[in-house]
Amino acid sequence: MTLTESPATPAAAPRARTVLVIDDEIQIRRAVRNALRDMADDVLEAASGQEGIDLAASAMPDVIVLDLGLPDMAGADVCREVRRWGTMPIVVLSARHAEQEKVSLLNLGADDYVTKPFSTLEFGARVRAQLRRYQSLAGPAQGAVVTARGLTIDLVRRRVSRGQGAIHLTPIEWDILRTLVTAAGRTLTHQQIFDAVWGRVFGNPQQYLRVHITNLRRKIESDPSRPQLVVTEPGVGYRFEPEE
Amino acid sequence: MTAARARAWVLWLLLFALATVAMRLVRSNIDQAHAVLAYLLIVLGGSVAGGRPLGISLAGMATLAINYFFQAPLDTLSVAKPPDGLVLLAFLATAVTTTQLLALARSEAEEARRRADEVTRLAYLGSETLNAGTAEAALGAIARVIRDELRVDTCLIRRLVDGRKEVVASAGAAPRARDVSRLEIPLTGHDVELGALELQHPTPIAVDEPQRRFLDALGYYAALGLERMQLAAEAAHADALREADRMKDILLASVSHDLRTPLTTIKAMAQDGALRGDENSAIIEEQADRLSRLVSDLLDLSRMKGGTLHLSPELNAAEDVIGAVARQFAGTTSGARLVTAVDLSQPALFGYFDFVHTLRILGNLVENALRYAPADTPVELGVTTAGEMLAFTVADRGPGVPAPEVERIFEPFHRSPGARNDGGAGLGLSIARRLAEEQGGDVRYAPRAGGGSVFTLLLPACDPQAEEIA
Repeated sequence: MTLTESPATPAAAPRARTVLVIDDEIQIRRAVRNALRDMADDVLEAASGQEGIDLAASAMPDVIVLDLGLPDMAGADVCREVRRWGTMPIVVLSARHAEQEKVSLLNLGADDYVTKPFSTLEFGARVRAQLRRYQSLAGPAQGAVVTARGLTIDLVRRRVSRGQGAIHLTPIEWDILRTLVTAAGRTLTHQQIFDAVWGRVFGNPQQYLRVHITNLRRKIESDPSRPQLVVTEPGVGYRFEPEE
Repeated sequence: MTAARARAWVLWLLLFALATVAMRLVRSNIDQAHAVLAYLLIVLGGSVAGGRPLGISLAGMATLAINYFFQAPLDTLSVAKPPDGLVLLAFLATAVTTTQLLALARSEAEEARRRADEVTRLAYLGSETLNAGTAEAALGAIARVIRDELRVDTCLIRRLVDGRKEVVASAGAAPRARDVSRLEIPLTGHDVELGALELQHPTPIAVDEPQRRFLDALGYYAALGLERMQLAAEAAHADALREADRMKDILLASVSHDLRTPLTTIKAMAQDGALRGDENSAIIEEQADRLSRLVSDLLDLSRMKGGTLHLSPELNAAEDVIGAVARQFAGTTSGARLVTAVDLSQPALFGYFDFVHTLRILGNLVENALRYAPADTPVELGVTTAGEMLAFTVADRGPGVPAPEVERIFEPFHRSPGARNDGGAGLGLSIARRLAEEQGGDVRYAPRAGGGSVFTLLLPACDPQAEEIA
């Protein structure tokens, strides 16, 4: 994947032609519709997993919002089925205490999740981030330099700097940063980052991901104890947050 | 004397007589040594066939016969030459000794056979009893076998249950409380007392050595049976617990889902209204959040009590969890008062803990501090090490906790007298402490120098440098 995020043109608020909400609760579908009305032309609703898959296939929405507590099938199966032919972002609605479920859905190809009960503002922001990411993927490449909160990342020359000061990263730190930046706005699970950086290495250096992330933050964050660029999704993974 | 023995006596005495007559007839042609050897053979044969008494009788008679018939002066019982006396003595000694040795070997063989029989029988009884369908049936069989074997009136097997010995198997007459003589043998397995075996009989019970061995062996089987009963009881109990746990999980999941769905809707709708400037909607949203927290707290508490809380401790950076706490409070109005203090001049601190639960602990401590501290004072969140532990501290300039209250603030539903009723159900600190204890840590309170409180979360520290980093 070679995503490029243009620092030159601040992304215009992205809009979706169509959003599909798969949820068996009519009230939640309504809340989601309300939250997204400013950014979507059309919100389609499906009350079951099968209906959702059919609707997704026929309408090819720009974003799918998928609730995990569906009566007819597991959210993971819906996700897996859609990913067989669709690349549109999938945002999952899940309950607390379901970190393992979130991780397995993200590993299956979901892009982000929001925990119920959610704030509509937060939810809207997450969906918008997915739309922006998806649309920039589809659009023409605009350069390989990403800037966010004063940090400049040159993906081609493998250079990171803040202001005039170059930042030296170890190869592993660079690989982690590149992995996160190329999936900016998307929560990557520990497993996904590990696979991307270490590949198939024997042994279990996975736990040291935390050590490398800590070192990376100390180099690139302006306040490492309050990270703004590489944020932690508790129990799930990490996400690179591009500037809004 | 058995018939076989009697036949042996008759046969060998007859042989002795025949041999004596035959040798007497050819006396002029044989030497006394021939007679000695022939008699020795008869003594040996007699002792093999008829045992020690016959052997010794034959030896005695042969000695006399040798002296009388085959030593000069012939046909008298006198000994003329000393060497002849020596021959007689040697013959007698040899015959008696071999008879004794044969008898000894015989009795040892017999004893071995008896022991082998005993072992076979015990093994048979053991497999018989252990193969019985249930432990109770096996114990019943053991009791019957013991009663029959020892010929006592009653045999009881008692099992130790909660300090009392309950009869689990009995054989024979109804047990009596008095006018009976008893013999009790404790039953143990893996050095734990499991119960006892009790014999009852109207007359005193005497147990000889083989019977004692028999009792010991069957007592061992009985102990195995009791152990089996105990394991079965434990398994049944564990099954029941598992089922109860499963029901609880289902209940929790459904309560959690059924409450959360309307809360999600209420919150979303209210937020929508609040964004359009409706004050009432803002209050509804706030209260929905409060209700949602309460539901979460109650679910967590019941999960912890039910032991269904899942922990996954891993190597984590202290500043990572501090950053996550800061992020959690970043959106709230009071969150602006949260100050994080991480010493970036020092190497990062690491611990071995569950990230999500630790985030919850610190979140509860910070929330508690923000609630009680005056609105214009900061709440400081930092981390240091204390020996083998990480020490996260949450410090505020609130009123502090009076000494008598200190342990009570960690009890569920405890609220300090005079506390503002603004959202907490009094569960935050108790959940925090329990979650910390689950991870081998603790939450402690101390008054803060200059006024206020310091809550310290202790969790196991971990040094990733000590291990090789891939």
